[in-house]
Amino acid sequence: MLRIDRRLLTNFDWGLFALSLIIPLCGLVVLYSAGYDADAAVDLFGLLSVEFASAACLKQAVYLAAGIIIMVIGMSIPTHMFHRYAFVMYGAALLLLCAVAGFGVVVNGSRRWLSLGGFNLQPAEFMKLGLIVTMARLLSKSPPKDGHAYRLTELLIPGLFIALPMGLIMQQPDLGTALSLGIVGVSQVMFVGVRPKVLLLVILSAVVLAYPSWHMLHDYQQRRILVLLNPEADPQGSGYHITQSKIAVGSGELFGKGYRQGTQTQLEFLPEHTTDFVFSVLAEEWGFVGTVFLIMLFFGLLSFMLRVAHRSRDLFACLLAFGITAQFFAHIVINIGMVIGLMPVVGIPLPLVSYGGSAMLSLMFGVGIVQGVSMRRMLFRAAP
Amino acid sequence: MPSLDRSSLNITFRIWVALGVSFFCLFVLILRLWYLQIIKGEYFRDRSENNRLRTIYLPSPRGLIFDRNGELLVRNRPSFNVDLVVEDSPDPKKTIENLAEIVGEDSQVLQERLSKQTKRRRFEPKLLLRDISRDTVGRISAQRHRLPGVIVSVVPTREYVHGGLASHVVGYIREINQDQLKSQTYRGYRMGDDVGHYGVEATLERYLRGERGSQAVIVNAIGNKIGEAFFQPEIPGTNVTLTIDKKVQSTADKLLEGKRGAIVALDAQTGDIIAMSSGPRFDPNMFTSEISKEDWSDLTNSKEDKLSNRVLQGAYPPGSVFKIFVAAAALSEGVVTPSERMTCSGALQFGKRSFRCHKHSGHGAVDLFESIVQSCDVYFYTVGQRLGVDRIYHYAHDIFGFGESTDLGLGEEVPGLIPSTKWKQTYFREPEDKRWYPGETLPVAIGQGAVTTTPLQVARALAAVVNGGRLLKPRIVRQLVASDGRVIQQASEQPEVVGTVDIEPWILDKVKQAMVGVVEDKRGTGHRAALPKERGISVGGKTGTAQVASRESGSKRDDHAWFAGYAPADKPRVVVVAILENAGHGGAVAAPVVHDVMASYFGVDDVGVATVADDGALPED
Repeated sequence: MLRIDRRLLTNFDWGLFALSLIIPLCGLVVLYSAGYDADAAVDLFGLLSVEFASAACLKQAVYLAAGIIIMVIGMSIPTHMFHRYAFVMYGAALLLLCAVAGFGVVVNGSRRWLSLGGFNLQPAEFMKLGLIVTMARLLSKSPPKDGHAYRLTELLIPGLFIALPMGLIMQQPDLGTALSLGIVGVSQVMFVGVRPKVLLLVILSAVVLAYPSWHMLHDYQQRRILVLLNPEADPQGSGYHITQSKIAVGSGELFGKGYRQGTQTQLEFLPEHTTDFVFSVLAEEWGFVGTVFLIMLFFGLLSFMLRVAHRSRDLFACLLAFGITAQFFAHIVINIGMVIGLMPVVGIPLPLVSYGGSAMLSLMFGVGIVQGVSMRRMLFRAAP
Repeated sequence: MPSLDRSSLNITFRIWVALGVSFFCLFVLILRLWYLQIIKGEYFRDRSENNRLRTIYLPSPRGLIFDRNGELLVRNRPSFNVDLVVEDSPDPKKTIENLAEIVGEDSQVLQERLSKQTKRRRFEPKLLLRDISRDTVGRISAQRHRLPGVIVSVVPTREYVHGGLASHVVGYIREINQDQLKSQTYRGYRMGDDVGHYGVEATLERYLRGERGSQAVIVNAIGNKIGEAFFQPEIPGTNVTLTIDKKVQSTADKLLEGKRGAIVALDAQTGDIIAMSSGPRFDPNMFTSEISKEDWSDLTNSKEDKLSNRVLQGAYPPGSVFKIFVAAAALSEGVVTPSERMTCSGALQFGKRSFRCHKHSGHGAVDLFESIVQSCDVYFYTVGQRLGVDRIYHYAHDIFGFGESTDLGLGEEVPGLIPSTKWKQTYFREPEDKRWYPGETLPVAIGQGAVTTTPLQVARALAAVVNGGRLLKPRIVRQLVASDGRVIQQASEQPEVVGTVDIEPWILDKVKQAMVGVVEDKRGTGHRAALPKERGISVGGKTGTAQVASRESGSKRDDHAWFAGYAPADKPRVVVVAILENAGHGGAVAAPVVHDVMASYFGVDDVGVATVADDGALPED
């Protein structure tokens, strides 16, 4: 039950709120162009048919509206509730992941989805929040014994919590999600502090493990990584996405080709241009100016979220806000990096911009949680 | 609830580090974007243009070819070609295998054809099969799903409407070959283009070809055309009107059916070639598709030599036909008068050798007229002796244009040979061979020995005799009309005179009278060339039976049969020369052929004399 507390509104972070709306609104502008199809009548979830030239844009607008509601819900849930139900969330998500491994639906060669009647559910999405919350709780419950940095032994349990879902997701296979999950969990640990020796050991063992794990990767995953090193080697096959995306981005030059004038996008040379490669559309049509503008907005968003983490009431809230920030960060860097040929093509959408309902909802929920942390920073010892 | 222990963990520091890491990573992204969009922006812009624009070349239909009366001889018909757009095929090799199986071709051959076309880019159609049947088109369409990237295009293809009619004049086209592509002459040509290889198709290539159009279309990622960026229409080739008259030509062609020989009909006043036929002929249509090995060896068979235009490239001893010119020379030089009589006893003793007349019993006492009418060799041996070889050479070469190309402009011409003392000097190596022996002049005077001429040279020289002394440049092209209707070239009514025969008119008249005698006199060797009396067109001419040097059997059948005629005798309009290789006597074999061509030319319903069996009741020549 929501209780309107005046103090809650006092600490409402308007900057965060504004950016969390401005970025998806920019996204809508880009999506209108990316999903442009003059003849299409948009069928809105089987409810009504609307005359609108861009299905992706219109549907995303609906998702954004839903996302705002979800964000409000997210900010309304008291932070301690996440603390209380952390393991429940984690456990439930883990169970679902196991269920996927057992009888998930295979789409495009990956077993990622659970079929629930009409729609498909991707448990990995739940695990993202589940892991952040659980790590926040674990780490805040047992901060480093020496007060500064963790020893190796102290990291065994958090490490297990990270590795378990990562492994399950990796074998789906979904390299991108597993990677971002790992980045988020590890960055939470690092945020609290790790001894340099431990850090070194982890890096070393990662290098040593890289060789066998390379062979554990699926062919297409190996190819995507190799292609990154030399995309022109196979411009029609695996390199096609990267090559076309780089052409789109580069050909935007300083000011872009103009709104809805992107030939790579409009003529569909660019694959997945409403989802994973939406950033290329922005780059092609708005140029360097546009890309820097969006990256600055993202940096603003990350800064506001980090400020919330900084000001938060307790270590759990701090780690919770930081974890969500880290997730945004990981998605932004992986997605843009992949679009501009710095990272393998792993299918991570650009937060708040890429078309997609579930990503929009889960990310807006995350923003809501951070907002909630901000609102409650002065509320010590809330009524039990 | 755990409390945030700010003393043990320096949160502020950690936040700053996190902010720094975020900033750094995003900055790296911006650096990369700077590199892609600013530094390499132009490069990627070009690549995006390449992506969306595809240039398609539009073939220009070749110019049409008409006869002098505007009858269509060569046109373009739509045909179906099979191309492959490599980019649109996920597995070109497999696609080609499927195609080969469907059309029943060797996939290896198709693969090779594809790999040869390196100049074309992935998204450009590459030619695999030419001129496939409608049946095959149907089979390909039905199997579309197995043939990604395969397109069937409709292109104009050459069609020689009357098959082999005037094949040596019209010529043929072929797909341009690698050597031609490399040469400067064929700049601007592309693999798969057609190029004239023979006849008018080759010599007028630059007019007939037209200009290829191009079209830049905007395509989307799956190659569908969604717009046009730039369009330049093709310019069809220039239409050619030949001097050939289809009716006369087809008569001539039919006369040579199954024979080796040549017929040329020349407008005596203008030099226009009315008909030019060389047997055996070929069908130019066979060159538009692949030529089988058998067909090719048949075409290049050295005995038949189908690809040789004997009118220009056949160098034959002219035999008695040459007497026309020797007679004119002799009268002009005053070595003989028209009335002087010489006695032919069937042979002429010269030194130790005896030179025989073809009539072994002898012609008795003959004057100039009779010697031509009856084709007395002995008379001309004597005349030749009096002239000497160099004076014969002077008249034949310098005045009547033998021994030189006629500059028709229809491919290579054989110059032929008129011997002279100078020729012997330069041609032979041994000193004793370099000397001209007087006895050698005798065969030259009757068009034998080393003398060789082409049928066209004979026709042109005869025209000069009968048209008042003008040696004309023969011509084959009457008009060139560009596709927009502009007349590029028009043969003038005035002929191009390349030489004037410096011989008094009364002399030429005497020779002409004798030639009419050949056809009309009861003792004339060429009366089979005569047109029906009631038409009032009298024909003049001269027979020739040229002995072939390497004669084994001794049969008269091995001789080349000549007839060079003109008509009407009073006001000559046309000269017709026919030679039939190893066919026998000129009067028996060649004269009827010339008769038929003339009958066709004058519209006399009397064609068919040549097909009447040789009854042998002719005076020999």
